[in-house]
Amino acid sequence: MLPDLEPEALVVLLERMIVARRFEEELIELAGDRDIGHFHVYIGQESTGIPALSLLEQGDLSFTNHRNHGHLIARGAEPGPMYAEILGRATGYCRGKGGTLHLASAEHGFPTTSSVTSGCIPLAVGAGLGLQRLGSDRVSVCLVGDGALEEGAWHESANIAAMERLPVVFLCENNSLEALGQRAGEYPSSTMAASDLTELASVFGIESVAIDGLDTRAAHQTMTEAVHRARSGGGPTFIEARTVRWPGNRPIWPELATGKTDLSMAWDASLIRPEHAIWHREQDGLLGFVRELLDSGCVTSDAALGLDKRATERVREGLAFALDSPYPEPEEALEHVFAPRGD
Amino acid sequence: MVVTAPAQSGPEDLEMMWRIRAFEEKASELFARGKISGLLHLAIGQEATAVGVCGALQPTDRVFSGHRPHGHAIAKGAETGRLFAELAGRRTGYCGGKGGSMHLAAPEVGFVTATGIVAGNLPLALGAALSSKCRGESDVAVAFFGDGAAQTGLFHECLNLASLWQLPVVLVCENNGFAEFSPLSAHTVVERLADHADTYGIPTETIDGNDLTVVRPAAAAAIDRARNGGGPSFLECLTHRLRGHYEGDPTLKRGAAARDEAKDPIQRFTRFLHDAARSAELEGIEVRVRAEVEQAAEEALAAPWPERDDLLTNVVAQP
Amino acid sequence: MTKTIRYIDAISSVLRQELERDDDVFILGEDVSYGGPFGATAGLSASFGPTRVIDTPISEGAVMGLAVGAALSGRRPIVEVMFADFVTLAMDQLVNHAAKIRYMTDGQLSVPMTIRVQGGVGGGFGAQHSQSLEAWFLHVPGLKVVAPSSVKDAAGLLVAAIRDDDPVVYLEHRGLYWTKGLGASDETPTPIGTAAVVRSGSDVTVVAVSRMVGVAVSAAEKLAEDDIDVEVLDLRSVAPIDWATIDESVRRTRRLVVVHEAVVTGGLGAELVAGVHATAFEALISPAVRVGAPSTPVPASPFLECLYAPDTDDVIAAVLETLHER
Repeated sequence: MLPDLEPEALVVLLERMIVARRFEEELIELAGDRDIGHFHVYIGQESTGIPALSLLEQGDLSFTNHRNHGHLIARGAEPGPMYAEILGRATGYCRGKGGTLHLASAEHGFPTTSSVTSGCIPLAVGAGLGLQRLGSDRVSVCLVGDGALEEGAWHESANIAAMERLPVVFLCENNSLEALGQRAGEYPSSTMAASDLTELASVFGIESVAIDGLDTRAAHQTMTEAVHRARSGGGPTFIEARTVRWPGNRPIWPELATGKTDLSMAWDASLIRPEHAIWHREQDGLLGFVRELLDSGCVTSDAALGLDKRATERVREGLAFALDSPYPEPEEALEHVFAPRGD
Repeated sequence: MVVTAPAQSGPEDLEMMWRIRAFEEKASELFARGKISGLLHLAIGQEATAVGVCGALQPTDRVFSGHRPHGHAIAKGAETGRLFAELAGRRTGYCGGKGGSMHLAAPEVGFVTATGIVAGNLPLALGAALSSKCRGESDVAVAFFGDGAAQTGLFHECLNLASLWQLPVVLVCENNGFAEFSPLSAHTVVERLADHADTYGIPTETIDGNDLTVVRPAAAAAIDRARNGGGPSFLECLTHRLRGHYEGDPTLKRGAAARDEAKDPIQRFTRFLHDAARSAELEGIEVRVRAEVEQAAEEALAAPWPERDDLLTNVVAQP
Repeated sequence: MTKTIRYIDAISSVLRQELERDDDVFILGEDVSYGGPFGATAGLSASFGPTRVIDTPISEGAVMGLAVGAALSGRRPIVEVMFADFVTLAMDQLVNHAAKIRYMTDGQLSVPMTIRVQGGVGGGFGAQHSQSLEAWFLHVPGLKVVAPSSVKDAAGLLVAAIRDDDPVVYLEHRGLYWTKGLGASDETPTPIGTAAVVRSGSDVTVVAVSRMVGVAVSAAEKLAEDDIDVEVLDLRSVAPIDWATIDESVRRTRRLVVVHEAVVTGGLGAELVAGVHATAFEALISPAVRVGAPSTPVPASPFLECLYAPDTDDVIAAVLETLHER
């Protein structure tokens, strides 16, 4: 179902979802042409992250992981400096020192990104502690995958977040459904004994809820409630969004397994070919969102294509900007190890 | 043939509890006299968990303890004399004086090792259990840890692994209500630590850890489950530490329960045996055991220090 | 029989050989049944099953400790750590248990385990997936540390590590995975604690480790064009260090350069130079020079990453520095 928002706001969400999708598709194509190192894409999770994170406000902090591109786009980061960072250029958000694994932009609410699985959890909880002690009503959002809950850092951090009633929202995007290593019928994954990830949080008395990762309304609503709880001193919330892993994410290097997304499939089922038909019909959150918007009359198919064109252009311009950008100066390699010396 | 763990307890268990008590009281005295140095964590008041669990184990079952290990080692069959010698840093100690109180090891009796890292022994026990399981052996592994361990990441990782792989391990949480110096409520909002294990689908039991007649059958059931391929168990033993975190603990008064005979596991089990009309069998136990421990301590202190060369030995395998 | 194979295949085939040879050997790691990220364990799960090739959760601390526990029970676990940087999550168990238990129990217990660690720069993986941490391990008594640079030693040192009765940290450089070389017959262990002379020379001794050995050799080849005769030693074993081989070489060449990819500060090079000073100071006719990375985290930008890691020119400059008349 659609989030409880004005049509204009829904269109903004759609545009960000398309940008997030096109951003990754272009990146995968680029990687086919040149060695740009390893990276992780957000395809298939837009219907969770975009509605959930776009409702955050200035000053709210978010700490993400190796699969972060969509998260940054959800909070308004620009494709150009994102690509530049991924390509190690001087115009990147971290001037090339972070790369895809540590893509962060403080101005968009991402102080730092850890690609040590679970690494962001204590950071997010610590930020929550800081915000609480400052008397701020801002919240700290911790973005993890299901694998992060296998780490001890999760348990230690959740305990502290619960005990101190910290303004933290844990958004766990469990994309292990049909993931590498999962055997038939296994949930949540082959390396987790708990039969329900939310219990790992609720055992600490943390408000916990599981949602369908394809349900944009659920993502928006649970996040709204969680943020409200955090802002009003009600302590942490744990949201598990259950997401089917995009087939292109199954290999270690992402592949455009389902082709470049054709939005027309949302209204013209005859375009869907048998291969990956289930993906295009049922599991692609972007197509699902477009269908719901069409059904509700919020957008027309022409308008959707128009948005797509604009989004694709924005993404391509961003990529061109990044490719045209210079590498950092050699001396920059030695800068920012410590705070600049005060004079 | 799979053995069944004994669920009963009797005078020999009382004797073992007295042996632990006598050992620790003597250790405390020697510490106060400067004969033992280092950090000495006593488990006086917690003897029923050590004896209840270890008394239901086979000699080849493997026990891994933490920083409060004396009772577990003694209950598993370690000699008090060699333990005293270890505490006193003597060459005749189990570890030649290199381990000390927190790193006791008597693998010959199945007390594999102890560790000073809170929760650090949990993965070790899991590893032993994994080894048994993969080799098709029937040995069970046991980890003893306190309530403070339940707030560590390792604890969480180990619960997941133990359950995921259905390892033959018994996780014994001696919940004495104090994590180092402060009460458990200052460390977590979770009141029943067994709830964590439950989350991972591990069978749990929260019991009165000061009542040997409760601990023994619960331990036996968990041990039997592990030995028969039923996977891990979590035993939360509610107990009371009658001393501070360690000897000389500056926060002694905060960290220790008042000596309460109603909670003292030795007094309780003595009453139980009296009620069971076995008074005659109890006579002289305490006196005999204290004398034995006294002599063990004396001999240990008379033993030589390690040789100078021992400083450099056993860092790596000798070629 | 020797044939040309890749470094990663050497690792793979030794793992297979040792799993076949000894029932006590088993592998633990994240996604190892799928071959791990680089394929070192590919196919092993199919041959040996889930009790010998065990996929673990992302729980480095517990998995490292679990391997110690299994080693204490007489088995020979091989733990795969996907990236060297993630050893930090397991340092407690590695340092406080694996390394210390033999000593703390005065030899009653052994911890025969191998820790396979992939690390080093390459591919712009950034600061949390590129470190070289050999100096951290070197500093811990009770750990043995090896870092093969050649295909032959990738096999030989892995055999030795697995059969060793102590914990051995086996450092793999991902930049070497696809390099090719002659594989020895896999049975032959390379003794831990021995360096190798990979190029004889008389003017300067260059001691290098891991991927830097190849860099040092190509520097030596270029310098040879100017009649500068460089001897290159492949350290191979970071702990224990083969002081005898280094001492012999330095006494002949009277000049020393040490090269590693890790940061210079507090690094292996400092240990090597100090060790040579202690035994052969009088032989040196110029100050020893260390070559390594600057004291910064590893940058992601491929451009900056190239600057970060020492290269042939850096080694040449260092060699020339030792030849500079003072």
